[in-house]
Amino acid sequence: MATSSSPPQIASEVVAERRGIPAASFVKDVQAYLNQLGLDVNNTLAFLQERLQQYKVVEMKLLAQQRDLQAKIPDIEKCLDVVATLQAKKDSDEALLTDFEVSEGIYARARIENADSVCLWLGANVMLEYSCEEATTLLQNNLENAKASLEVLVADLQFLRDQVTITQVTIARVYNWDVHQRRVKNTSSSQDS
Amino acid sequence: MQQAGGGSETEVTWEDQQNINKFGRLNNRLHELEDEIKIAKEANENFEDASNELILTDEEVVRFQIGEVFCHVAKDEVEMRIEKMQETTAKHLEKLTDEKESVLAEMAELKKILYGKFKDSINLEED
Repeated sequence: MATSSSPPQIASEVVAERRGIPAASFVKDVQAYLNQLGLDVNNTLAFLQERLQQYKVVEMKLLAQQRDLQAKIPDIEKCLDVVATLQAKKDSDEALLTDFEVSEGIYARARIENADSVCLWLGANVMLEYSCEEATTLLQNNLENAKASLEVLVADLQFLRDQVTITQVTIARVYNWDVHQRRVKNTSSSQDS
Repeated sequence: MQQAGGGSETEVTWEDQQNINKFGRLNNRLHELEDEIKIAKEANENFEDASNELILTDEEVVRFQIGEVFCHVAKDEVEMRIEKMQETTAKHLEKLTDEKESVLAEMAELKKILYGKFKDSINLEED
């Protein structure tokens, strides 16, 4: 398998799109780009602005997903902590006294003895009973999946932000090129007249 | 290092674009790091306050929050747990601060390169 020797930040291969996000094409020469698109300057600028808006929409969506995942990970870690504590108490053969919330502001005392199994909320109104070991395994798996998803998401966001930057730079260059063209045309037409 | 392009329109090469992209990405990472550092510092302060309270209290059993419930735990065990959490947070904070310094150094490098090529045509400052 061919290995890419380039560092991950500066990729020498250009990706056409990533997970449904189209890549912004890098413009080497503005004139050639305009000819290739077959549009005049204003339409090109409008097209690029629209692309930018689409990127922003996708960015909002990805950021929301990232926030959800970032909230989920500490929750899973807390659950792992609880299961570990229950297992530790079981080994020491003591009852565990806890104060838990019955309703908002109302707490009750519970005595947990010999916690052989725990019930895990799986979502969709489903709760299953697991032994402590199985629960730990399941929660570990969930935690690793969540962390892996977060990594992929972060990479997606980085790719997206790169495309946004490229598009913004292209817009600036097309605009500057247009200003430059007008100036050249004005000086040449004032020389003629 | 790129040669400066002549004329009012400076050439933007693919390498320049990649440098600009990298600068943007580093800038984003810097903001994320600053937020995370703030959270870690607050957590450290909370642990400090908690262990101070522990020293002052004369109760033997402390209600320690594990998950969503408050377990009755012996004071010594609570002290140990808080110490462990403090260690983890301190290490995490150190890692974040180191990463922030390296990000700042990279950004300074890129600024030199990009300002060198584009001078006034580019703005890399925080607005």
